[in-house]
Amino acid sequence: MTSRTPTVCPYCAVGCGFYITPNGVEYMQDHPVNEGSLCPKGNVAPDVLNHVERLRYPMMRTGDGWIRVSWSEALDRVAEEMPRALREKGPKALAFLGSAKCTNEENYTFQKIARLMGTNSIDNSARRCHSPTIIALRRMLGTPAMTNPISDLALSDCIFVIGSNLAENHPVVARWILRAKDRGAAVIVADPRVTPTAWLADLHLQLNPGTDIALINGMINVILGEGLEDRSFIRERTRGFEELDVSDYTPERVSSITGLSAADIVRAARLYAKAGASSIVYCMGITQHSCGTENVTACANLALICGQVGRPGTGILPLRGQNNVQGACDMGALADFYPGWRSVDDSGAIDELRRLWNARSLPLGRGLTADMMPDADLRFLYVMGEDIVNSHPAVARRRERLKRGFVVVQDIFLTDTAKLADLVLPAAAWAEKEGTFTSTERRVQWVSRAREPPGDARPDLWILSEVAARLGFDLPHDPEEVLAEINQAVPAYGGICRMNAGRRGGIIWPCPHPDHPGTPVLHTERFSTPDGRARITPVHHPAPERTSPEHPMILITGRVVLHYNSGSMTMRSEGLVKREPELHVDVHPDDAVRFGVADGDTVMIETRWGRARARAKLTPGQKRGTLFMPFHFPETNLVASELLDEKSMMPELKVAACRIWRAD
Amino acid sequence: MKEILVRPERCVGCRSCEIACAVEHSQSRDLFKALSEMPQKRLYVEHVPEHSLAVPMLCRHCEDAPCVGVCPTGALTQDSLTGVVRHNRDLCIGCWTCASVCTYGVIGRDRRARAAIKCDRCPDREIPACVAACPTRALIYGEVEEVSGARRAASALKLAQGVAASSR
Repeated sequence: MTSRTPTVCPYCAVGCGFYITPNGVEYMQDHPVNEGSLCPKGNVAPDVLNHVERLRYPMMRTGDGWIRVSWSEALDRVAEEMPRALREKGPKALAFLGSAKCTNEENYTFQKIARLMGTNSIDNSARRCHSPTIIALRRMLGTPAMTNPISDLALSDCIFVIGSNLAENHPVVARWILRAKDRGAAVIVADPRVTPTAWLADLHLQLNPGTDIALINGMINVILGEGLEDRSFIRERTRGFEELDVSDYTPERVSSITGLSAADIVRAARLYAKAGASSIVYCMGITQHSCGTENVTACANLALICGQVGRPGTGILPLRGQNNVQGACDMGALADFYPGWRSVDDSGAIDELRRLWNARSLPLGRGLTADMMPDADLRFLYVMGEDIVNSHPAVARRRERLKRGFVVVQDIFLTDTAKLADLVLPAAAWAEKEGTFTSTERRVQWVSRAREPPGDARPDLWILSEVAARLGFDLPHDPEEVLAEINQAVPAYGGICRMNAGRRGGIIWPCPHPDHPGTPVLHTERFSTPDGRARITPVHHPAPERTSPEHPMILITGRVVLHYNSGSMTMRSEGLVKREPELHVDVHPDDAVRFGVADGDTVMIETRWGRARARAKLTPGQKRGTLFMPFHFPETNLVASELLDEKSMMPELKVAACRIWRAD
Repeated sequence: MKEILVRPERCVGCRSCEIACAVEHSQSRDLFKALSEMPQKRLYVEHVPEHSLAVPMLCRHCEDAPCVGVCPTGALTQDSLTGVVRHNRDLCIGCWTCASVCTYGVIGRDRRARAAIKCDRCPDREIPACVAACPTRALIYGEVEEVSGARRAASALKLAQGVAASSR
């Protein structure tokens, strides 16, 4: 191990590179994504390594306490409980939760164990961030992933940001948008709140929460009405255009739904359609809705009718949340997909894997998703690097139900989920092991080992291969060997190896063979659908969650710059906690007067799902009639809606009718 | 002489500079640092929501810096060549006079050490930590003449584009 080891940031999915040195972080000036700089979380990323609260030894539950056990005792126990549950209740009694923070090799191995045990009940946190992206983009474009690299944004003439506060959540992306602005590009931001991202906008569309489809259909209405669509692109490269009827979505009607002026809708439509190269950037403000899949579909429709896909500076750019969300999904750690995006219903495609894995049979049909697991009759649950209790609204309320079977949690900290476990296995953090991570732009980067894990903690892959061996499966424990198998199981990763993924900036998939340079821009000639054409798919504005006299406000949830997801990492980083220590709720000053709330008051927020206590923060950037709470604090998930998008099983986290009152 | 210059129109308020500054000025600067250490930043990102802006505020190292003039112990001195205002903690008595005259309010206080705390422009680094960390290049490190020149050229281009567009 040298004194300076290149690595990839373990936080969001932008995939920034930096060096770990004995003194902390050193910037990597020549990294193609971040060119050296990092956001606050990246700057303190090494804080989690060697943190005093790191799990150091395997621990078994004894009544209310824990005892330290040896690795062989711990692994034997897993290998005892898993087959027992299988014998007693069949494969439906087993469930597995993979991790968008673990490597591709680890997720691949984890889902393989689940499937060899006969169940498709394997999921990962992508369910809560981008499952609608997966469903919609796979169906429409053939590939469920970002179409162009982030740096391509600098080449856009118009950037349409919808449902993303990237300036806080993916600050490095703002770098490329500012570069486009320097060239004269127009930036449109659609968000109910005045966020730091909205500060970048030339046109800020402060729409009502949950009215994205109406807005986009309204823009399409204007584009078709003014003949701004790309006829030849539609004719040659798409199907389904004739079914796209948006005649109801006149700017005037859309204005009444969204609360925007008709003129702004027309302006946005013209800016997007007339620009030489336009891109759409979206995030969880689009996906975390009970109509999330339709929201993504609407975004793709807009891009397709304007021919804004398949060229530099164009495209559809979903910003993923965790460093390996894309990879965990590519590896098939999903209830509805096997590795390489083989549908769980496609027995032909699965048959190839059956042969590769030398398995007698593999399960068909969708397994349990993360939100369904607490309600299922489980006897065995294996959680790898995921704090499901703090991140799933439904699970937070039904946490006790998870304890009905044997629960194994493998993590770097004793998270709230780990506290429920019967057995806790200490894992190595990202910089203490090797393997590949796939960023939001499909960039696969090899991470080298920079530190020894603390105590007896072990890389997840080592733990999984030891468990597998005890179950009678001979799975490789070396990341390079696993990657070689992934080359065969996941066609887009066919040529990815330690060598090309280990280069500065790694390699962008699809990379079908070892000499392939990678594919930064997708869909240049044809889409990855069977016939090469994209599918335009009509969608309509749904009946939204409505306010009532009892719940007169709409609650929006989201992120703040200093924290990350459930907080299991950032809440242990002093520099971050000090600056953002407690849950707050943003309130417009007019609403504050209406409900008798002053800045700094302790308030209660109640939805029909639950109650939470928070500190009121008055800000004119909050839209009147709405409240905003960051979801890094467990209380927020207690009030978030439990409604689900039936297509993707995404919970409706962004919109819930609520009321607010002073608590003291 | 190089200066740290701020382009508030590019700041997204992410506070990366604050964190990088605090880390750079922590005593241990390493992974095993004592949890009790409270690294303090020397610049402050001020949010101005009414104008949809955030502005990183940091020591300007003013010419004829007022803080240096009023420091009763000589803890603050200004390098005649570089203009950098330096602070000697050993001489500082924590009287707070420097902070009271600072036009920008960017002199902080280390309560435990009873000493003023301010930007030293990272003497151990080629580029100050805040500048290196900034993801949007809202902070730049360069000669004032160069930066002003670039800004003039950019403004001229915008003007020219406007003239060209209106004469079309």
